[in-house]
Order: sequence, then structure tokens, then C-alpha cells
Amino acid sequence: MIPFFLSLVVLIFGSFVFQFFLPPVLLLSGAAILFAPPLYFYGCLSLPFPLMLALTFITGLLNDLFMVPQAKGHADYTAGVSILVYLVPGLIMHGFKPLFLRHRWELHWLLAEISAALTPFILVAQYAILSIERTNFFFNDVIVWRILGPGLISLLIAPCVFFILTPLSHVLGYRPGLPLAR
Amino acid sequence: MKSTSIAVIGIFALLVILVLLLPQSTKQQMQGALFQWISPILRTGASVGHELGGVRGGLKRLDELERENEQLKSENEQLSAANSLLKNLESEVSRLNRALRFREQSPVKLIPARIISRESATWWNTCTIGCGSKDGVAPDMAVVTESGLVGKVTTVGKDVSVVLLVSDESLRVSVSIEGTQEQGIVSGTRASSTYAPDLRIRFLSKTAKLQPGMKVLTAGAGGVFPSGLVIGTVKDFSAKALEGIATVTPAVDLADIQDVFVIIRQQ
Repeated sequence: MIPFFLSLVVLIFGSFVFQFFLPPVLLLSGAAILFAPPLYFYGCLSLPFPLMLALTFITGLLNDLFMVPQAKGHADYTAGVSILVYLVPGLIMHGFKPLFLRHRWELHWLLAEISAALTPFILVAQYAILSIERTNFFFNDVIVWRILGPGLISLLIAPCVFFILTPLSHVLGYRPGLPLAR
Repeated sequence: MKSTSIAVIGIFALLVILVLLLPQSTKQQMQGALFQWISPILRTGASVGHELGGVRGGLKRLDELERENEQLKSENEQLSAANSLLKNLESEVSRLNRALRFREQSPVKLIPARIISRESATWWNTCTIGCGSKDGVAPDMAVVTESGLVGKVTTVGKDVSVVLLVSDESLRVSVSIEGTQEQGIVSGTRASSTYAPDLRIRFLSKTAKLQPGMKVLTAGAGGVFPSGLVIGTVKDFSAKALEGIATVTPAVDLADIQDVFVIIRQQ
């Protein structure tokens, strides 16, 4: 279990670094390609509750340290807020764990798509916090695409991530809900 | 609920509160250390990207030359390729010459830096440059090119720094309009579909007589940006109920910057 948790942490860290080299999708009004959320959501489905919380803490903190400029004095989005932003969809995904433990590929695919649908929630929450801090709330088509675009991209990415991580967890000796390999 | 779960939730909540209450300077240091740690990867990625960009640039030039060939119907392909390479070198040399002249003529101390990554975060416009505290860079120092203002340094590692770009909504700069008494605050946009969005000046007087093409310069208020740095040119002006708002085309092409300078201020 611990090796798989650590490998997820490394993969999430790597995905944040990899994101520096991915240009925004101009076709979707500059929406970002996000690899960290599907990795995180897989962790929420497969890991026990304490490790899921630990993964939330690490992912949220890394998200802010990598993505949010930490300006001097008052920051309108201080590092650490994303822990709470990730926690809510993470808990929703954790609620689907019994479904995940049935180990049927079609259920895993469905859960991957649910995780993709939850990705925009993270961006909506970030946008809401920024808007409240800057006391300026508005919506236009660019903002809508910036929120929904990563979710649409995740619809393609998340199943691939899920189908790669399942064998990885088995290789690392973590088989939740399955008999131990001899 | 099991007692272990309650204990785990308690520890988690405590850690979250601890992180949220950390002083901003500590968070800046954490971010600086993180970027310092990954800077070798960013540098390698930037150099690979640069090489690939060179290849793409070369191909584009070849396309242009091919069109020229069709028009002139006289040059052969080998000669065109050689010309293309020379033109590439020439533009590189003239770009560096411009940067060097700007550095030599500048009355303030400038540290040259190369952009090593351009973050594609959803709500923030930042980039990472390849110089840091060992070069004398500190938070809140202005970053410029020979064309004008690029942004300001927010986080500093040993040899890497994060720059908040002028196109970001959270970077607000006091500005004056050349040839007028008008002053206002310029800021970027929260989300734009392009790399180089227009900027917006607020708090201008409603009766301001601004014409398209007028230069927008930093006013020097606040102590972060020296006065007189070019930000861009006025695109249009409209008077609202309480204030005048102008749209500004940035002087620096933020989509295509490679080399920048950090203005070193005496601490």
C-alpha cells in the first residue's frame, strides 16, 4: 500500500512538472491540460481514508506551490487553499470506493469519467475564491472554456490514467479488494 | 465513526490550518526552494524547446523562401537554405545587439536572464527565468525587455525566479499617459484566449482626451517599478459612470519573449 501511495505522490509531482511543458489548448480558449486530478482521484478511489487525506494534503499544497504566484504581503490565493478545494471532490470520489473494489473494467471506466466530470469543480472553486478576493465576479466564454475545457480533456485522459494505474498498483503489491497474489 | 478516523481527520485539519497560517514569506521561500529543485528539469526542457523552435523557425523560413522562389523563379533550393540559415543567425545577432545596447545605455543595473518556462496555469500568468538570489534578484523587482515592462519577480530561488507577468489581473501598476496629466492603474485580465492579451487602465478621469497610439508609461508610485518604463500604447478609451477606462496594447510581445532583464534595486 505504502509503495503505491508513494508512487502516486511521485506521479502527481511529475505531472505538475510536466505541465510546464504543455502549452494551453488555444482551440479551447487556452484551457490547460491537467494530469494531476485523474491521478489524485484514482488515489481517492483506491487508498484507505487516512492515505487519501494525506494525498489530498500533498496534491493541494503542490498545486499551489507550482501554479500560484506567492506574492509578497497579501496574496489573493494563498498556498494551502487548494487542499480544501481538492478535498471536496476527493471525498465524493472516495464515496465510490465500494464500486471501484468490484474490479470490473466498465465500472473503472465509468469512475474515470466521473473523475473527469469533477475536474471542473476544482477550477470553479479556484475561480470563486479569486473572484471573492478580488471583489470582481464575472463570466465570459473564455472563463467557461477555461473551467470546462480541462474536464473535456480529462474525459480522454482519465480512462487511460486509470487503466495504467491499476496494473501499476498490482505490480507494487497493492490489490485492494482482491485476494493476495501468490 | 472509528476513533482512528477521528484522529486522522484531526491531524489533517491541524496540518491544513498550520499551512494556511504560515507567513507569506515562508510560503515564498517554499516555492523558491521547489522551483530551485526542479530548475535543472526546466532548463533542460527549455533548451530542448529552443532547439525544436529553431528547427520550426528554419522550416518556416524555408516556406517563405519557397514562395520567393516561385516569384523570382531563379534561385535554387540549396542557395535558399543557406540564405535562410544566415538570416536566422542575423536576426539572432541583431536581437542580442539590441539587448546589449539596452543594457549598456540603461541608467539602472540590469541582470540578463532567459525565460526557462512559461506556466500554463488556468488563472495566473507567470513565467520562470534563469536567474535568482545569487545574481542579486529579490522579490518585487521589475522585469523588462528593451521594448518595455514584462512584470515583477514574486518568488526567488538560488538561480531561478518566478515572474508575475503584466498581463495578470493581480499585477497592478500605476501609470501615466505620455503628453497628458492623466494617471491610472493598469492591470491584465483574469482569463484570455491569447498569450498576449490587451491590458486595461482604470481610474482615469472621465474627460481624459486619450488618442489611440499614445504611450503608457509607469508612474513610479509604490516603489516597485521605476518611472518611465513603457507598458504599451493606448488602443481605445471609453468614459464610464465614475471613471475612464482605456485598453492598452502591451509594448512587449508576451507570447514571444525569450530574454529579459531584471532591474536590480538597492535593498
